[in-house]
Amino acid sequence: MTLKISDLSYEERVQEGIENDFMRQAVASAQGRFRSGRETRAEEIGNWEDWRALGEEIRRHTLNNLDYYLEQLSDEVSKRGGHVFFAEKAEDANAYIQDIVKKKKAKKVVKSKSMVTEEIGLNQALEEVGADVVESDLGEWILQLDDDPPSHIVTPALHKNKEQIRETFAKKRGYTKSEKPEELALFAREQLREEFLSCDIGITGCNFAVAESGAITFVTNEGNARMVTTIPDTQITVMGMERIVPTWEELDILVSLLTRAAVGQKITSYVTAITGTRLAGETDGPEEFHLVIVDNGRSKILGTEFQSTLHCIRCAACINVCPVYRHIGGHAYNSIYPGPIGAVLSPLLDGYESHQELPYASTLCGACTEVCPVKIPLHELLILHRKKMVEEEKMSPKLEQLAMKGYAKWASNAAAYKMGAALARPALKPWIRQETIKKGPGPLKEWTVNRDFPAPAKETFRAWFKKRNKEAPHHDEDL
Amino acid sequence: MTKIYNRDAFLENIARHLGRKRQTKKVERPNWHVSPQHSVLRGLSQDELVDILEKQCQEIHTAFKRTNIENLPKTLHDVLSTYKTKSMVVANDSRLKRFGLIPLFNSLKDEINIHLWEEANGKKNQLIAEQADVGISFSEITLAESGTVTLFINKNHGRSISLMPKSYIALIPKSTLVPRLTQATERIHNQVKNGEQVPSCISFVTGPSNSADIEMNLIVGVHGPMHATYIVIEDA
Amino acid sequence: MKVSLFITCMCDIFSPHVGKHTVELLERFGCEVDFPSQQTCCGQPAFNSGYLTESKVAMKQMMRAFKDAEYVVGPSGSCVGMIREYPKIFAHDPEWREEAEKLASKSYEITQFLVNVLGVKDVGSTFEGKVTYHPSCHMTRILGVKNEPITLLKHIKGIELKELPIKEDCCGFGGTFAVKNSVISSEMASEKSEHVSETEAEYLVGGDMACLMNIGGRMQREGKKVKTLHITEILNHRE
Repeated sequence: MTLKISDLSYEERVQEGIENDFMRQAVASAQGRFRSGRETRAEEIGNWEDWRALGEEIRRHTLNNLDYYLEQLSDEVSKRGGHVFFAEKAEDANAYIQDIVKKKKAKKVVKSKSMVTEEIGLNQALEEVGADVVESDLGEWILQLDDDPPSHIVTPALHKNKEQIRETFAKKRGYTKSEKPEELALFAREQLREEFLSCDIGITGCNFAVAESGAITFVTNEGNARMVTTIPDTQITVMGMERIVPTWEELDILVSLLTRAAVGQKITSYVTAITGTRLAGETDGPEEFHLVIVDNGRSKILGTEFQSTLHCIRCAACINVCPVYRHIGGHAYNSIYPGPIGAVLSPLLDGYESHQELPYASTLCGACTEVCPVKIPLHELLILHRKKMVEEEKMSPKLEQLAMKGYAKWASNAAAYKMGAALARPALKPWIRQETIKKGPGPLKEWTVNRDFPAPAKETFRAWFKKRNKEAPHHDEDL
Repeated sequence: MTKIYNRDAFLENIARHLGRKRQTKKVERPNWHVSPQHSVLRGLSQDELVDILEKQCQEIHTAFKRTNIENLPKTLHDVLSTYKTKSMVVANDSRLKRFGLIPLFNSLKDEINIHLWEEANGKKNQLIAEQADVGISFSEITLAESGTVTLFINKNHGRSISLMPKSYIALIPKSTLVPRLTQATERIHNQVKNGEQVPSCISFVTGPSNSADIEMNLIVGVHGPMHATYIVIEDA
Repeated sequence: MKVSLFITCMCDIFSPHVGKHTVELLERFGCEVDFPSQQTCCGQPAFNSGYLTESKVAMKQMMRAFKDAEYVVGPSGSCVGMIREYPKIFAHDPEWREEAEKLASKSYEITQFLVNVLGVKDVGSTFEGKVTYHPSCHMTRILGVKNEPITLLKHIKGIELKELPIKEDCCGFGGTFAVKNSVISSEMASEKSEHVSETEAEYLVGGDMACLMNIGGRMQREGKKVKTLHITEILNHRE
């Protein structure tokens, strides 16, 4: 499993993120742009809530009948000359693809952006069989040259600035021009054009497969996915098994939601639908096409309370509104899927042990749930993770367990509550100065590192109310 | 012969997790509870849709021209001049003749290297497209809302034409305009339902290629064309 | 109209004055206010931490405490929001489901109650000063109360309302998050504090004491003079 991207501890990763001023500024400004773009688009299209409801309904129906639609898809792809490989595990997918590379004696493989191939660690598998792998999405190419993992699922190099990119291009590819984004992009265009023209195999991900006709669609802006499905004679498409719609009519809805939620565009520059191999007389497109459908832990999520996680269409809207992500960046999540969706998905795919901090890396503010175009209740699923970790996995700290047992006793008995409330002030008395706690004990210690904490009031509300009721009804006593 | 590997085990496993037997009977799509897509830009005339397309072209960094069949050769010639075209690749479409473009191409032969997409050229087509300054093809369905041309790829209309040259010109018969993606996907869905063969590639193209991967700055022109022009033609 | 006050444990212990203002406001509009003394905490600290069993005993205590209430009104979007979630939590519990639904449907946050139940827009108060309002996440997103506080604040005489930049962003409190992830939490509070400064407001107003405790605690540590006020303090303010 290559979901994880670092060996550092959670605390170290968070600290690294918080100290990375450039990254934080870049993420903050990107979030600002995403926010206004998404809002404008949502307003323009009319009843956005209806769109979301429809998106959710389509996703739920599709997942509940996933076996049927995958069967239909594979039949249709097969009818159009494509091979279909169902891969239960990452290793199965990689082995199948390695096999094709070996059979084709392929030297160069060019990829378009794909999260699922990151997830299964395909690049490494390809290198193992001697293939030269080139990422062709601009952001992914930058990261590949620098051997850096993605920090965002739509704009993977969000954490890098143009000076860093210029330096990478200079060091790795002999680039001599300025750090102007246009010049950097032009250089990438020229360099990658060569790669497209000389590659043996093109590998893509898949935004949505259309079951009724066997079409595989890509929603992109740069045109690299079109390149790798136009030039090489062999095309391999890797898709997460849930990335499917019943018919072209549902494709409309999900593409419309995706581009608006992801980048605030009415549509991206290219929405490309490829069906099977090229037809007789055509020169563009593959003569050999393989569709690899990946489970890799997804089926375990089906039929559980977490099933809606598989509704995800990878738009990153939840990431773009998340205030926690803004401060710590994508790498702190230590998963190729960062942000709220990553915090829900990573433990499901890869277990709690490796990702136990993620369900807690959220204030449960609900911003993610509010923007999700397919209505995944992300913050509720984070609470559900916490519940599983506490009640089933017994992973919560002993001290916390004790505290919560105490809480239950306190909150289920008014007399105990009343006593506890009245004792709060005397208990904290040693730390109170001018009605403020500047350096607190126990759990308050963490709070008071950077913030003051108020002292409990001299008299609880209920004590005051009781007194007030005993006296005149319209009594205006000071607290 | 194509092959499907590991399907039964894979799908049985899915069914098991869904808590039921494998779904073997045809699944009917439900009637979705809401359908907001149909009310977007509903009831507009073709001319009103053209106006919306024109406005959207500003957002997608695309030049917009409006012309009729009579003036099309001149309009196209002007655009080719703007792009300082030395070579171009054109989808070999019967509409070239209907829209009176063959005489224009003949008259431009000395200035511009004109390649019609030829099946016989095989892979050479790609190299021609790669070297061309301009690619030209017709839109089958044009989406006013997003400013999108829909290209149905076939042996006379290569994928490369709208992808590899520096600039791309879409010829848009006014009759191809529809409100949005909904009408295009509906048409394709009906083709599938009627058992018609769907093209090997359907490309929804919206302006030139772009990227925001460097510091979220919008860069127009990455792997695909760096410039785009839409020419809407009165064809009533 | 009879109203039972839901004080919330935080206001009970740390900000009893908020309860006092809430009572006075309700009385000003003709409500007869009682305080069911069996009430404790809504269960949120345990629920949000994943301790469902522990949270449910608190919730049951609350359902018992407010069983006979006609209306339940509290000065917190977050705690009332929690109560509104009870039906979902007890959906498969035949013994408590009905009680959960009953309590949820009669519970209101104070501004929500004033505007939507009592039909009040102008409470007739006066408050001189520059004020910025922080809409708490749970008030807006869980409870769905967005415009009510603004409606009431706009009608206060003398008030100068300043829009808080990126107001919908969380302040970083998040219950145990503030302690478990205190580093991130205080960065978020700092950013809020900066945004408050940008408005040049003298007062930061909100409908949830927890957020105000967090942002206020940060501003106080930074030596800022901005005062935090619960919205009832302004609504109940008289010359």
